[in-house]
Amino acid sequence: MKYILMMNASSADWNSYAKWSKDDLAANVAFMRNFNKELKEEGVLVATEGLGWPAKAKIVRAAADGTPVTDGVFPESKEFLAGYWIIDVENAEQAYKIAARVSGAPGPGGHGGNIPIEVREVLSGFADLNL
Amino acid sequence: MKYILMMNTMKASQQGQGIMGWSKHDLEAHIAYMMKLNQDLTNSRELVSAEGLSFPDQAKRVRAANDGTPITDGVFPESKEFLAGYWIVDVPTPERAYAIAARASAAPGRGGTPLNMWIEVRPIMSQPPK
Repeated sequence: MKYILMMNASSADWNSYAKWSKDDLAANVAFMRNFNKELKEEGVLVATEGLGWPAKAKIVRAAADGTPVTDGVFPESKEFLAGYWIIDVENAEQAYKIAARVSGAPGPGGHGGNIPIEVREVLSGFADLNL
Repeated sequence: MKYILMMNTMKASQQGQGIMGWSKHDLEAHIAYMMKLNQDLTNSRELVSAEGLSFPDQAKRVRAANDGTPITDGVFPESKEFLAGYWIVDVPTPERAYAIAARASAAPGRGGTPLNMWIEVRPIMSQPPK
């Protein structure tokens, strides 16, 4: 079963991340690199990506003639995806355990941020929606 | 440059509405449109990956307790947007990413009317921020 682990962050979270000390950032990056390496070695990692800053985010919709209409204004409450992991594991409990590991990634001062990670099953096709 | 195109269509407050209430015919037209889009992006060698996610009622928030064990919770704020699916494309310019997003945006909904839904487009980081 494939699950996606999503790290979401508000604009305020992103702004404070930008102000972390160099050491704190380096510790966080080292943790994430090691985490990815462990998931690879455990044979569960399918894919992982980190996303660019929300300042570069646009929302796009098609006009009536199909051309793109872009906008860069998001509601205050908007959570931006910071990055995700797709893992292939036996059951949801294993996915939750892996999510807890990344939830404990070090934050400012090296303390575990214990940030919430959203976990959802990934579909292998439209048939899985059981519509 | 790699860009992610995110379909953030589902809100917690809208569970059970949306796609589940569509007719079989409308659903099939929507699915055929999305499969054609994926095929076209594969043929043009712009598609890196695409995934669809399960419904929001399957979503959990997980965080580590002090001893590292997972604490799970299924309650999300009312304003929460749920990711329904995404595409990662590798294209030379943001404009090309926006054009592809507009195609996804125009996927047919009820009665074949284009949804013209919002698609969030962001660059993918090739390495951690400096």
